[in-house]
Amino acid sequence: MARTRGLVVPILLIVLWELGSRAGILPEDTMSRPSLALAAGWEALSDGTLLVATVETFHAALVGLAIGSVIGICVGAPLGLSPVAEAVIGPTLDTIRPVPSLALLPLALLIYGFGARMEIMVVAFACTWPVLIVTVSAVRGIDRRLVEIARMLEMSRLRTLARIVLPAALARIGVGIRVAAGIALIVAVTTEIVLNPRGLGYAMMIASQSLRPDLMWAELFWVGLVGFGFDAILRKIDRTWLARFSTVAGP
Amino acid sequence: MRRVVVPEGGQHAPATALETRGLSMSFGDKLVLDRIDIAVGEGEFLCIVGPSGCGKTTLLRLFAGLAPPSSGEILAAGQSVRGPSRERAIVFQDYGRSLLPWRSVWANVALAYESQGVARAERRTRAYALLDRMGLTEFGEYFPGQLSGGMQQRVQIARTLAQEPRVMLMDEPFGALDAMTRQTLQDEIARLAGERGITTVFITHDLEEAIYLGDRVVALAANPGRVVETIDVGLKRPRDQLTTREEPLFLAHRHRLFRLLLPAMKHG
Repeated sequence: MARTRGLVVPILLIVLWELGSRAGILPEDTMSRPSLALAAGWEALSDGTLLVATVETFHAALVGLAIGSVIGICVGAPLGLSPVAEAVIGPTLDTIRPVPSLALLPLALLIYGFGARMEIMVVAFACTWPVLIVTVSAVRGIDRRLVEIARMLEMSRLRTLARIVLPAALARIGVGIRVAAGIALIVAVTTEIVLNPRGLGYAMMIASQSLRPDLMWAELFWVGLVGFGFDAILRKIDRTWLARFSTVAGP
Repeated sequence: MRRVVVPEGGQHAPATALETRGLSMSFGDKLVLDRIDIAVGEGEFLCIVGPSGCGKTTLLRLFAGLAPPSSGEILAAGQSVRGPSRERAIVFQDYGRSLLPWRSVWANVALAYESQGVARAERRTRAYALLDRMGLTEFGEYFPGQLSGGMQQRVQIARTLAQEPRVMLMDEPFGALDAMTRQTLQDEIARLAGERGITTVFITHDLEEAIYLGDRVVALAANPGRVVETIDVGLKRPRDQLTTREEPLFLAHRHRLFRLLLPAMKHG
């Protein structure tokens, strides 16, 4: 019931849009029409171009997210554990962090040229920060009791990290990865719009430049849709799997 | 049943499992423990009672080696304590914080085997043997959050047994449990410690629990924490929740400790 109620506003807007366009109130050369966009989207889907572009964008977003997450966790965990590491590496990181990820585009282009790898590099850079920051605070915030248990059992530092600290921090690190996932998609699409000739961003840019507002709108909706689906999957993982890592609550 | 050995003079008596010499602890300016001298005999069940704020938990953490004392010394089996050791297991009061929520019950117990280099297949078998001992066989695949408080505390005890310690340090382990569960676990822990000859230091604020379980009871006063009395319990084992608690000797001990600690308890 609540779900269907949530659909009322979007459906109403689309109907108004269609009617407004047909009545000539909305400029058709920019706003197109929902019905035309639907037709263009269907065509792009059935000839495979939209799917290829989607795969390209998600490939870059996911690989970049994975690399960024691994770097974020591997750097964040020691920073959270050791004040010495924090003192040594912290200032450097604080200097690099404010660099906008898209400002890395010229450098990435220089290193890799056009293609997936340069996009992955920029996405990975952007994804590292949220994961790193959350990892530092998650590791710092784990219950000291668990570390005491590890000490009592004479566990090595490495084992304590792998068996106790990271699992205990995982639920919160998961939140950081979810934030990074949203950023990954944004950065991938933006990279494609401004520079990289591949993926959904580039497809939208081409549609716009070849005066195909119908196709551009179709692709815009498609990006929103797959982004929503992506987040839903991550939320599902969060709830079903990561939830277990939070706390022991008795019945 | 078990002979209680009280070493005299504080010299290296071979039967002393744990000993403190002039142990003091302060946090900043606040003196929490003042020159504590306690010796725990091998296989002894020693209970420490005292009002809140008397430094009981701090004392236990010092015994465990989780923190260094401000001054004085702790000896475990004649050796100076420098840090935590698997020889000295701790059972914490807040079991909810002391288990790994992402691991099943048996895997929580098996944690103690992992750093001992016990083979993977054997860990499970041995963990289940201990769970069996604690009456938790059916719950091996559950997660701690799915168990009641009493069962979670049993899991924690099973893990410390898996550690095969010489000394068990218990910090008000049953303080958060209901009366029935508490009595059952008291009997279980008394039996386990007796069977395995594990030296036990048991901290509680419950005088009756201390007398019921202990070979000796050490009473601490607060501000700063110091030993004010040591009682040789002398009640025969196995003890019984009903009859032991009705024995004149039990009541006499209770009377004495109550008189001693009541003013402080009221104050605390």
